[in-house]
Amino acid sequence: MSETSERAGSAQERGQRLSVVVGRALLPIAVVAAILAVLPPFWFEDSPYTTSLAVKALVFASYGIGFNLIFGCTNQLFLCVGALAGIGGYGTAITADRSSLPMAAAIAAGTAGAALIGGLLSWIAVRRSLGVIFTGIVTLVFSLAFANFLLGQRDLTGSETGLVITGIPSGIADDQVGGYYLFAGVVVGFLLVFRVLQLSHVGWAFRGLRDDEMAAELAGVDVARYRIYAATVGSAMIGLAGALYAYSSGFVSPDTYAFQNVDVRVLVLVAFGGLGALVGPVIGAGVLAVVDERLATAQGQFLDFDVIQLREALYGVFVIAIFLGFRRGVVPAVVTLARRIGGRRRRETGPPRPAPSER
Amino acid sequence: MKAVVLDGIVIGLAFGLLGVGMTLVYGLGGVINLAYGQIVVLGAIIASLVLERGHSQAFAAAVGVLAAIGVSLLLDLTLLRAVYRRHGEERILLGLLLTLGAAFVIGGLLTARYPTGALFISITGEPVSILGVPMSRGSIWASVIALAVGGVLLLFLGLTTFGRGLRSVIQDETGARLVGINPSFVRTVVFALSGALAGVVAVTQSMNGPLEVNKGFELTTFALIVTVVGGLGSVAGAFLAGLLLGVVNALSAHYIGQYFTSVILLGVAALTILVRPRGLLGR
Repeated sequence: MSETSERAGSAQERGQRLSVVVGRALLPIAVVAAILAVLPPFWFEDSPYTTSLAVKALVFASYGIGFNLIFGCTNQLFLCVGALAGIGGYGTAITADRSSLPMAAAIAAGTAGAALIGGLLSWIAVRRSLGVIFTGIVTLVFSLAFANFLLGQRDLTGSETGLVITGIPSGIADDQVGGYYLFAGVVVGFLLVFRVLQLSHVGWAFRGLRDDEMAAELAGVDVARYRIYAATVGSAMIGLAGALYAYSSGFVSPDTYAFQNVDVRVLVLVAFGGLGALVGPVIGAGVLAVVDERLATAQGQFLDFDVIQLREALYGVFVIAIFLGFRRGVVPAVVTLARRIGGRRRRETGPPRPAPSER
Repeated sequence: MKAVVLDGIVIGLAFGLLGVGMTLVYGLGGVINLAYGQIVVLGAIIASLVLERGHSQAFAAAVGVLAAIGVSLLLDLTLLRAVYRRHGEERILLGLLLTLGAAFVIGGLLTARYPTGALFISITGEPVSILGVPMSRGSIWASVIALAVGGVLLLFLGLTTFGRGLRSVIQDETGARLVGINPSFVRTVVFALSGALAGVVAVTQSMNGPLEVNKGFELTTFALIVTVVGGLGSVAGAFLAGLLLGVVNALSAHYIGQYFTSVILLGVAALTILVRPRGLLGR
């Protein structure tokens, strides 16, 4: 806001302008919050099944916002969202189990663990600017290592059976509306953090390094530092969401955080909503929840396959289609199209970002 | 101890082939094929289906290898064409994302259709004593096949005109184009070649024990670790790293525990990136 304040005449004018800027920045978040707040009475009323579906969608939206910060803003392909959430979940469960710490402290411990590991992975991958390929490799290998670790440390993690969490306050179980509002609050909180980062100097650095890393580096942006920064904050978000999810579902198991169950889904929903877009993950999570529900009720046969078993393959198709066809996300593409049809005849910038390197 | 190391070498040879398949494709076009493990599994499942029909093991193995080549060609001609149209960082990223999508499509379809599918080529016969350690016939066959395939591959890359053309594309794509080499043709051939290696690994792995349908992700990760440790784009490095990591894998599985080995392998990969990002024999 510094550039506006220089030109501002009186203090009053300045205040007005500031409130307009802040209002505009917060508008999408306010809309999301309002929709989330009125959704329960309209949509799922008392059905525990629908409520748990909605909770799951909100959890994935939270993962998505964290991942969006890491991948969408700073181009680090973290293929370990499930593992980071698992560190949050298991960290919390084990801390609560082994010590007499209160719930909040256990959650804080789990979140800090995820943030630390996420930052460390990013540090390994961005050292000497090794680039996107090392990030992908390191994080994917980490996912496998974490999954095997969970299976192997039977005493600590309970292996396949997982751990049951005790001392859950009543009302936040994931088939209850309390759990829904808890995660709605988490989503709104994450969106606020994301927005604040976008508007601060960090956001400028993110945009610079995403558009042209070399130019950003030359302009004095410490690219490696901002990458690690984004990875740490994003991982903390994912870890916190994973920890809270563990509490609301009452147990943790390797399946809850498996690569196959978490990472593709998060990748699809973030890409669907548009990489780096503020509310993209929320929209993506909502759409995927509807798709999932339809799949679950379809129960038909398709070319010899059970429809529900095809989910993994279907997500794969989504990933391919989205990154081949809609580089900036399906939602932004639709918005652009709607604007064009809507008769706003201002000259569009053309098809989004005609890759400069393309011949 | 000696037996464990020998076991490690047997696994390591398979790791090495996987790493070579992955590193060649990366060296040529900057694509890390995250669907590689799923291609191995696909070859294995097809071979197991052929075995079920009552055909001979050799025929089933051949069909499995051909299936792996086929699906690789399909990937190259569809998804990767779109990837190669881009350059630099963007190509790498798109390559990772699209092959990851392909991994889920292949893996998802296979696990949905054959949830308990597995390939097991059992080779009967008395164990053979090597350095005083009795080794199963399956292990011996697997090692001999892997060594033969690796040797032929190195000769092919080193001595033939195509091999020279291939190395020129790795070094300088534009330069290769200028002297009349078609990079896209070379890439297609090499991708098919890496598919063939995947098929061979499917066969050799199943000689030591069943290769299950859900192993794809793990195989991809092993190939990635081997590729990183050996040096991205280095064929000899991948072989060496494969052998080394195979032995590390066997030792840690024997002395520390099966589940902890992937953590150790991750540590090795991370350490390599920090200390020597070019890998053992990287350029």
